[in-house]
Amino acid sequence: MSPVRSLAGLGRPSLLVALLFSLIAIVAFIAAGRSGRRDLSEAGKRALYATFGFTALATISLITALLAHDFSLSYVANYTSRSLSVPYTISALWGGMEGSLLFWTTLLTGFSALAIARAPARSSRLVGGAGAVLMGIAGFFLFMVAFPGNPFAQVAGDVPIDGNGLNPLLQSPGMIIHPPLLYTGFVGFSIPFAFAIGALFTKRLDDSWFTATRQWTLFAWTALSVGIVLGGAWAYTELGWGGYWAWDPVENASFMPWLTATAFLHSVVIQEKRRMLKVWNVTLIVLTYAFAVFGTFLTRSGLLSSIHTFSEGPIGKYFLPFLALLLIGGLGMVAYRFDALRSENQLDAFISRESAFIANNVLFVAAAFTVLLGTIYPIIAEVFSGLRVSVSPPFYNAIFTPIGLAIIGLTGIGPLISWRRMSKGAFWRMVRIPLVAGGLTVVALGLGGLTSLGALLSFALCVFTATAIIGEFVRGSRVYRRRDNAGPFTALSRTIARNRRRYGGYIVHLGVLLIVIGFAGNAFKVERRAEMAPGDTLDIAAYTLTYEGVRTATTPEKDIFEARLAVSRGDEDLGPMSPQRNLHLAQGQWQSEVAIRTNPVEDLYVVVTGFDTDGSAVIRTFVNPLTWWIWAGAAVMLAGMLVIMSGRAPVTVAAAKRAPAKREAAVVR
Amino acid sequence: MKRVAWLTLVFLALPATAMAQSPEDLANEISNKVSSPFCPGVTLHDCPSQSALDMRDRIEGYARQGMDEAAIMERLEAEYGPSIRGVPSSEGAGILVWILPSVAVIAGGVLAWILVRRWTSRRPQQTAEASRAAVAFSASERQRLDAELGRLREES
Repeated sequence: MSPVRSLAGLGRPSLLVALLFSLIAIVAFIAAGRSGRRDLSEAGKRALYATFGFTALATISLITALLAHDFSLSYVANYTSRSLSVPYTISALWGGMEGSLLFWTTLLTGFSALAIARAPARSSRLVGGAGAVLMGIAGFFLFMVAFPGNPFAQVAGDVPIDGNGLNPLLQSPGMIIHPPLLYTGFVGFSIPFAFAIGALFTKRLDDSWFTATRQWTLFAWTALSVGIVLGGAWAYTELGWGGYWAWDPVENASFMPWLTATAFLHSVVIQEKRRMLKVWNVTLIVLTYAFAVFGTFLTRSGLLSSIHTFSEGPIGKYFLPFLALLLIGGLGMVAYRFDALRSENQLDAFISRESAFIANNVLFVAAAFTVLLGTIYPIIAEVFSGLRVSVSPPFYNAIFTPIGLAIIGLTGIGPLISWRRMSKGAFWRMVRIPLVAGGLTVVALGLGGLTSLGALLSFALCVFTATAIIGEFVRGSRVYRRRDNAGPFTALSRTIARNRRRYGGYIVHLGVLLIVIGFAGNAFKVERRAEMAPGDTLDIAAYTLTYEGVRTATTPEKDIFEARLAVSRGDEDLGPMSPQRNLHLAQGQWQSEVAIRTNPVEDLYVVVTGFDTDGSAVIRTFVNPLTWWIWAGAAVMLAGMLVIMSGRAPVTVAAAKRAPAKREAAVVR
Repeated sequence: MKRVAWLTLVFLALPATAMAQSPEDLANEISNKVSSPFCPGVTLHDCPSQSALDMRDRIEGYARQGMDEAAIMERLEAEYGPSIRGVPSSEGAGILVWILPSVAVIAGGVLAWILVRRWTSRRPQQTAEASRAAVAFSASERQRLDAELGRLREES
């Protein structure tokens, strides 16, 4: 008997009340947006807080039902079982479509409440517009979870004694964190989207909308980035195919908004500094949010399995019009306010950081378009030809690699170019050392026998860009070393602390380079597969694996079959490795647990794909060079984002004009 | 400096010479390129089903018989149809999927170039003044100005 009592009875009524409050909030916020009246804005806020409160209550109800094993709810019966541990029982909240939609909605209403509560009090109209948009989105999702995607639906017939249990693949620590982070990223972009559309509605087209949501944008981007990397780590450690990214449509669904959001994070800087690219920035945030919703739609509508599954599914027919409304409404508003969004300044010169940022945006958006094209092509082909075709990694690698390399090159060039203008001579002086470093890398690796052109270019561009970025740190630190006679580390920390946004950005870029180095290592991957009887050995790269036999064990959840392998490299004994092949009893499903020995040079990755009755095992082994750097790079990226977010909000051109006394300081920043 | 540039060019121009591949390596490479008939949307390499493992063994068998990559791909296409190739077809509508990303990059680049040129050319007065001012600098003054600007940049 579970100590937790199910509160499932509160769930659906709470959702209906939340839906009602969201409608009240929409009306109040629209009125506030039109009139600018603060009392209406306050009324909208209270209705928004109530919406969040009742949505959260519904989520708590579902969590109690999961923990209490209330199998009268079909959701609980479908995604949990009595033997499932408490963390995985709670994670079942996002293990199925209905629960994840409820989780999405709770995050959305919670983030909306926080963003609207923290919005500047003087912007009643903007708050009204943004609040109406946020509550419109929340209203849609509340409708979805209250009606077609209701997680509180009862089982048909007798209540089962036990549930089906959670998919074994989802029973991994990574899966407890990865989906919530992705959803946090997706939902986080609702805030800048809503403020942008609110600004368009209310014609508050100064810098208020993006300064009010700057931290939200950074937060959402960080959550999405970490979520994507954790998804890769989960695939690497759980799926057993030796890789971390397969250009799977579900992965692509998270990558598309990441690409356009990255473009936005760069281009919004031009709007802050030069009051330019206003149309482009609003368009980018509309696209980013549309991609985020598209990702949820894609993974939750059944569209990926087949166009027929989609049309028969409960939510697809609602999502598509909603997505169309977001896109047509958002881009329509941009077109409607086009004149008011015109740039207030011009560029000073072709060679300028602004130009580099624009080129960066072209590449990021083209990359997003490529991923979209590859993702939806099978659906389009099925609609027109009736044939299901696949678009696999070779397509994406062929198209994406040159775009990715160009982005890496620009990442190095960007910091070397001044804002506004730069002479060709000054540009050459800045670029020559990184260029030599990149060239020497090509020569050294070429002489070392590296023949993969893609890997060679990747390493060279990484060295070029890293040299450029490190040069920025060195030049920045030099000022403090000279002025304060500070040591190198003190000078470096002062440099970073003085302009956290800029140097935090450079740290993020260094993290990206480490990740690219990890990707380039994939070119040297080695794979071997063998059926091994006890005592057999398998050689791969410098390693020798000796199969010692199988060990079996049983737990309430699974039968465990563990292959015992002794690993050595030359004369060095590296100890045992023990990959498993387990039978999950509730689902009757086999699942491999990989064994990985990792270091910065290479991973030895072992998976057992089957056992025979005579005790022999089929062992699949990979040596994956440089994979460690992907996870290290992600950690560096996260550190960089934390540095950026810990900094003060940037002073925009408009803000500087509002405060003439502080203008000088503002312009310097 | 020139020598480094030449060496760089020479190495960049070097074709990625094909290493002699074992049948297992060739089978791994091919399984990374073909779609699995048993796991929708996943390559044969990444598909965990027993049927996929058997199919990989069969590909390795073809490689052991001396078939090269192109011959094995043709054989697989004959057995499973064109959708076995994990890339859009290079004929008909499929070719658009190959072309459109490049068109997007080129069109985006041209549009950005036109816009940047337009934005930079709308400042005739300031540019002319800037040019006159630039002409008025001596070489040493220009060097000093660059150095000062560089210092400001470092401090900002």
